[in-house]
Amino acid sequence: VTAAPTATRRRVGSLELLLVSLIALAVSAGTVSAFVSGRPDLSTAATVFCGVFVQALPFLVLGVVVSGLIATFVSAERLSRWMPRRPVVAVALAGIGGAALPGCECGSVPVARRLFGPGTNGAAALTFMLSAPAINPVVLVATAVAFPGQPAMVLARCVASLATAVSMGLLWQRFGRTEWVTRDLPAPPAHGSSRWTVFSEAARHDFLQAASYLVVGAVAAAALHVLVPAWVFEHLAGNLVVGVVTMAVLAVVLALCSEADAFVASSLTMLPLVPRLVFLVVGPAVDVKLSAMQAGMFGRRFAVRFGPATFVVATVIGTIVGLAILGGGA
Amino acid sequence: MSRGTQNLVLLLVGLATAVMLVKGTYLNYVRPVLLPWLIVAAAVLVALGLAAVIRDLRHAPDQHDADGGHGDHRHQSWLAWLLLIPIAMVAFVVPPALGASGAGPTAAVSAPKRRAFPPLPPGPAPTVSLPETVMRAAADSTNSLNGRTITLTGFSLRQSGGVDLGRVVIVCCAADAQLARIHLTGPGAAAAAGYPDDTWLQIQGQIQPGSAHVDDGFIPTMTVAAVKQIDKPANTYAY
Repeated sequence: VTAAPTATRRRVGSLELLLVSLIALAVSAGTVSAFVSGRPDLSTAATVFCGVFVQALPFLVLGVVVSGLIATFVSAERLSRWMPRRPVVAVALAGIGGAALPGCECGSVPVARRLFGPGTNGAAALTFMLSAPAINPVVLVATAVAFPGQPAMVLARCVASLATAVSMGLLWQRFGRTEWVTRDLPAPPAHGSSRWTVFSEAARHDFLQAASYLVVGAVAAAALHVLVPAWVFEHLAGNLVVGVVTMAVLAVVLALCSEADAFVASSLTMLPLVPRLVFLVVGPAVDVKLSAMQAGMFGRRFAVRFGPATFVVATVIGTIVGLAILGGGA
Repeated sequence: MSRGTQNLVLLLVGLATAVMLVKGTYLNYVRPVLLPWLIVAAAVLVALGLAAVIRDLRHAPDQHDADGGHGDHRHQSWLAWLLLIPIAMVAFVVPPALGASGAGPTAAVSAPKRRAFPPLPPGPAPTVSLPETVMRAAADSTNSLNGRTITLTGFSLRQSGGVDLGRVVIVCCAADAQLARIHLTGPGAAAAAGYPDDTWLQIQGQIQPGSAHVDDGFIPTMTVAAVKQIDKPANTYAY
């Protein structure tokens, strides 16, 4: 975007700029802190921002460690040798394999980006990205705890999320174009580098990339948290379509961790189960912070297509599975 | 942002996390169970940052040093500046824990499908968490609260005409915070109403049987016997 001279000037100054920013921060911390605490909305937004970021941090670090290990030990040739030839089988396997990464959605984006290498099956990587945060054991147990005495909810969530992940993989297989993925991974360090160098460079790159976009998403989630009025939650009982659409949109704007969303959904007792299931299926697959992270790891052209498509697929599948397993009633 | 600056930012994210853990302010944002994972995360980030700094010092600062990445990464490298926001928030600004106004409007009671809760702890006035009390009042098929005096801790909340005892409940992080509350009545309630909003109180009393009903969002009512003002706890959330 920028012309070369601007880039040069910026590069020359970045270290000094960082030091100046840090000094400014240290000097102004007390004033800013008092300013924030004095305004309830701003204070709430700041706390929610910290909540989303701090909560995501360990999972993101787990994700970049896994993606660093993939960069070190799993070459593209090896991966394609492991994966079944038939794309449908590969996608289905990747969906079920998602259950093996116990984390929430922030960690699975960098992992999927590493798996989405040249010469490997991109559809399987995307399926893994969508299924891992939704059907891993931690999330399913959390769902069972949040909905005591309603094991059908756990089953419905597992089935609907897996179906969403596999459908998106197959859709990518059929319609996806690799040129939408404009963001390339950095070239691996020169041959002969130690495994530690390869690992730490990959993890460093993926963290900086994903965490920057996590900040964008956390800011958006914090702002929406304050701006979405409270009555939205309370006035949508009754109409199934209104409930489903509202809960799907809420899942996107609230950007909750997939290990927490079940508890929020279970507390919305005024709603029937189907819209709440849609909330649980959409949330781990697409939300503001995930879309920002996908734009960072895969590229904007990818994110603007993949996000909305996932939203529609997850909402429709969530509704159908919900009606089939949970029934139309409350 | 140059590669060297990026390494410092990476290091600073790790250090800011460590500062937050040492000061204990992470409890404003997440649950205590996350502590070991946050320690690991801070350590990994510091290690990755240090490794990159050391590697760049050891190797000649040729094309690597000035390059903010490879090829098309460079025009996006300003985004790493955004990481200054969490560094500033977590280590310098330190937003406070959510109060009653920041928590979600819904009562923290799950679908009131009645089930058997374990018996209350023995003793004359066992301490029970406020959200658990709300849950028991709405859904306990054994009616374990009936006839028992219990001790509750929370902040005063003067809304809806009377005085309530409230507690912010988080499941995972501050983004899912919800307000759990109990209406106060009886002789002790007047004393509780005498305190300004958001005063931390420890109260003893009995939950009125059948006071949690659907019209009122399953908020139970407690007949208060004794009220004591306490210091604001270090961790204001309930889980």
